[in-house]
Amino acid sequence: MSDLDDFKATYFDECSELLLELEEQFAAIEEGDHSSNRLNAVFRAIHSIKGGGGAFGFSGLVGFAHAYETLLDHVRDGRVELSEPVVALCIRANDIVADFVAAAKDGAELEAGYGAEEKLQFDTLTSGDPDMVGEPMEEFDIDFVPVMVTIAGAEDDAMAEAPLSLAILDDAFEAPPLAPEAGHWTIRFTPHSELYARANDPLLLLRELGTLGDIKVRAVLDEIPALADFEPFGVYCSWEIALRSDTATEATIAEVFEFVEGNCDLTITRGEAPVAEAALDAEIEAMPSFAQLMADEAQPEPLAVAEDASSAQLISFEALAESMKPALKAAPPVLPPPLKQAAPAEEFDGENDRRSGVEDRRNGVQSIRVDLDKIDRVVNMVGELVITQSMLTQQMDETLRARYQELVRGLEVLAQTTRGLQDSVMSIRAQPVKTVFSRMPRLVRELASKTGKKIRLETIGENTEIDKTIIEQLSDPLTHMIRNSADHGIESPEKRLAAGKSESGAIRLSAEQAGGNILIAVEDDGGGINRERVLQVARDRGVVGPEQALSDEQIDQLIFAPGFSTASEISDISGRGVGMDVVLSNIKKIGGSVHVKSWTGRGTRMTLRLPLTLAVLDVMLVKVAGSPYVIPLSSIVETIQCARANFSRMPTGAQVLQVRGEYVQVVDLASRFEMTTEVERDNRFVVLCEAEGGVKVAVIVDDIIGQQQVVIKSLEENFQSIEGIAGGTILGDGNVALIVDVQGLKSTTTAHKSAA
Amino acid sequence: MSSGASVAGANSMQLIAFSIGEQTYGVEITTVREIRAWNGATPLPNTREFVRGVINLRGTIVPIFDLRARFGEGVTSPTKNHVVVVMSVGEKWVGILVDAVSDILTVAKTDIHNVPEGNSIDTELLNGIVTHESRMVGLIDLHAVVSGAKMDS
Repeated sequence: MSDLDDFKATYFDECSELLLELEEQFAAIEEGDHSSNRLNAVFRAIHSIKGGGGAFGFSGLVGFAHAYETLLDHVRDGRVELSEPVVALCIRANDIVADFVAAAKDGAELEAGYGAEEKLQFDTLTSGDPDMVGEPMEEFDIDFVPVMVTIAGAEDDAMAEAPLSLAILDDAFEAPPLAPEAGHWTIRFTPHSELYARANDPLLLLRELGTLGDIKVRAVLDEIPALADFEPFGVYCSWEIALRSDTATEATIAEVFEFVEGNCDLTITRGEAPVAEAALDAEIEAMPSFAQLMADEAQPEPLAVAEDASSAQLISFEALAESMKPALKAAPPVLPPPLKQAAPAEEFDGENDRRSGVEDRRNGVQSIRVDLDKIDRVVNMVGELVITQSMLTQQMDETLRARYQELVRGLEVLAQTTRGLQDSVMSIRAQPVKTVFSRMPRLVRELASKTGKKIRLETIGENTEIDKTIIEQLSDPLTHMIRNSADHGIESPEKRLAAGKSESGAIRLSAEQAGGNILIAVEDDGGGINRERVLQVARDRGVVGPEQALSDEQIDQLIFAPGFSTASEISDISGRGVGMDVVLSNIKKIGGSVHVKSWTGRGTRMTLRLPLTLAVLDVMLVKVAGSPYVIPLSSIVETIQCARANFSRMPTGAQVLQVRGEYVQVVDLASRFEMTTEVERDNRFVVLCEAEGGVKVAVIVDDIIGQQQVVIKSLEENFQSIEGIAGGTILGDGNVALIVDVQGLKSTTTAHKSAA
Repeated sequence: MSSGASVAGANSMQLIAFSIGEQTYGVEITTVREIRAWNGATPLPNTREFVRGVINLRGTIVPIFDLRARFGEGVTSPTKNHVVVVMSVGEKWVGILVDAVSDILTVAKTDIHNVPEGNSIDTELLNGIVTHESRMVGLIDLHAVVSGAKMDS
């Protein structure tokens, strides 16, 4: 059932938001903020996760969350003190809930008894209170007053609904005897005319409700007026449903009616239905005729429907039709004014405290969920618009400017609007880095317990916003960086004390915007990079030549070299693979750069410089053999005029470029791409690029046109990938320029060499 | 032809006919997306000579194939009068550079003949041959035309 899958996807989306919220709340609680707002937020989050989990039958999750929720309830009421160990337990419990959710999402099975230990601790903590011991998980203390409302003048086809309700009724009577231990629920459902106007069908809702357990449905037809006052489109029918189910919770029941919320009055109460099966049968026997009903209605005293649900009449459609015949002849009876009760909507809101936080969010924040594809389409089109606009501007030469001033002004406004539009669209895709930062506290906790170190994580600037695609790519690099800091940066408590530092180390994770970039830094107050050791390993592995002298900074950068991909080579603490080269390649892939700075004995800071968005790439526009090419700015180190460049030949005849004591491989784009150029050698340019792993390539081009922003287009969409080309882009004049794949250039060169 | 549906009915099909020198070729009209004048293309490195490069078609990058070069009859020196026929091949859009678009032909399916064995390039690139008003029209197999574009293939 694809609908269910959609709901599930929404549920998991919400879960990740709720888990994030938990992480946040506990960060504050850990700091000592034990305000009831925080506890309520935590409670709501767990409650919502549990509620949804129950709806989808994730029993492990629900069981654990329930025990946790009970503890939270005790904490909230002050029955359990929020001491440090309890906070620690809760934080661990959050991780376990996250694992349960993740397992449910992937359809994976957690090991049996996972979380049992914590669950036992919950039970121990809460068992002091006799009220709560053995409390079945469906229990909710909801103050419920059954109410009913007559909707006067409501317009709908109540007659058409009557047979539908009967269909359900028949089903209910055929239902097998119910298990005595099942939970009992009574649901009173009174549709408003809007419900029908929005093409909702109560039958479908009732059927859905039937999937939760065994249901008995009674149509409440008391409100049907005398025929003379009968409005064909009036809504006179409501339903009372007795539900027996082991698994249903108030939240799951409410969820059935989620889409008609506000268009109906709904009360859900726990407990035996006021009318048991026998009573129901008896009532059918004693069913009054429609005429009798009319006679009753003619009495001046109003029906006490609200208090006494059993006065709700069960009536068959046939009987109704039958009894209408005499009614046709009857004189219009005098009717009491329609019953009006206090709006049940308020009642419903009153329960919301215990209801899901999802509900709260829906009411509080005005937001919608939009498919990312749709936004991407808008982003692409805005990209086109920006290009078209700049193309138009470029074509305005001086004579045109002088002649068509109005046009020029219009174009200027267009330029502004376009830029504004681009910013707005980009901000839609932007998300706070919080979404990825929030995964790190858990990682640090795990690393601390694994390494036996004491580590504190501080996060700064977690509301800094960055493009969603980049956020998705950030998780892995950040994980590696934090692992690296915890493994190699932070020293053991003994070492730290010996060095005169505090026992526990700190890792600071920060994000800030700097111009068109986002800077994300992972900083630790550990021992810094052991440069001697790094250099030694680098020499051993041939990453650095034996004669080559490196500055401290260059040595620090070596940790990103592929040769250093395993921790065991420079660390005796852990055998965990910490591929810093992975960090570099991942960050390069999204157009960013990594910088590391280390202070011996004082710590290390690794900074990621990331573009704000992936949709637009900063490039340098160059010409090769008359064709335009662009090179991503992020990979360019510097540019040199060929006349001033220091070329030399290797003994093999291959040309190399000497830059500050380094020999760099030379790639002439014209010959690599098998094109002929007429530009003289000395007038050409060297673009010094850095490929993955810090390897440099000197790319020779005919001319450098300038820098600009471009939108990346795929070549594969209509063609296929080409060696040395990372994609295409459309320039201001509408022509296509190809994006040079610096990494690919390097690898094809090696391939050519090895082939030769 | 790759796409079976035809606008002219079950027993006939409509072709867009275009010329390269004296030769007439055709593709089924339903595969044609648009026809535009030659306006240059950005050359693609490391591709065979019949790949003229790529153009910007309202924001997407579309490769252009020189049909003359594809048939091994030398590279076209295109002018503003040359025409690019943009067609869909499966999910992809490609442009074919031809000298001119001449006509829309309605031909009976029974008039489509097999390509005579012998000339390898013709049997490779044509689906069939149609005689229309004493003209011979080669039916282009687009999948075959666009394949083998890379240098190494």
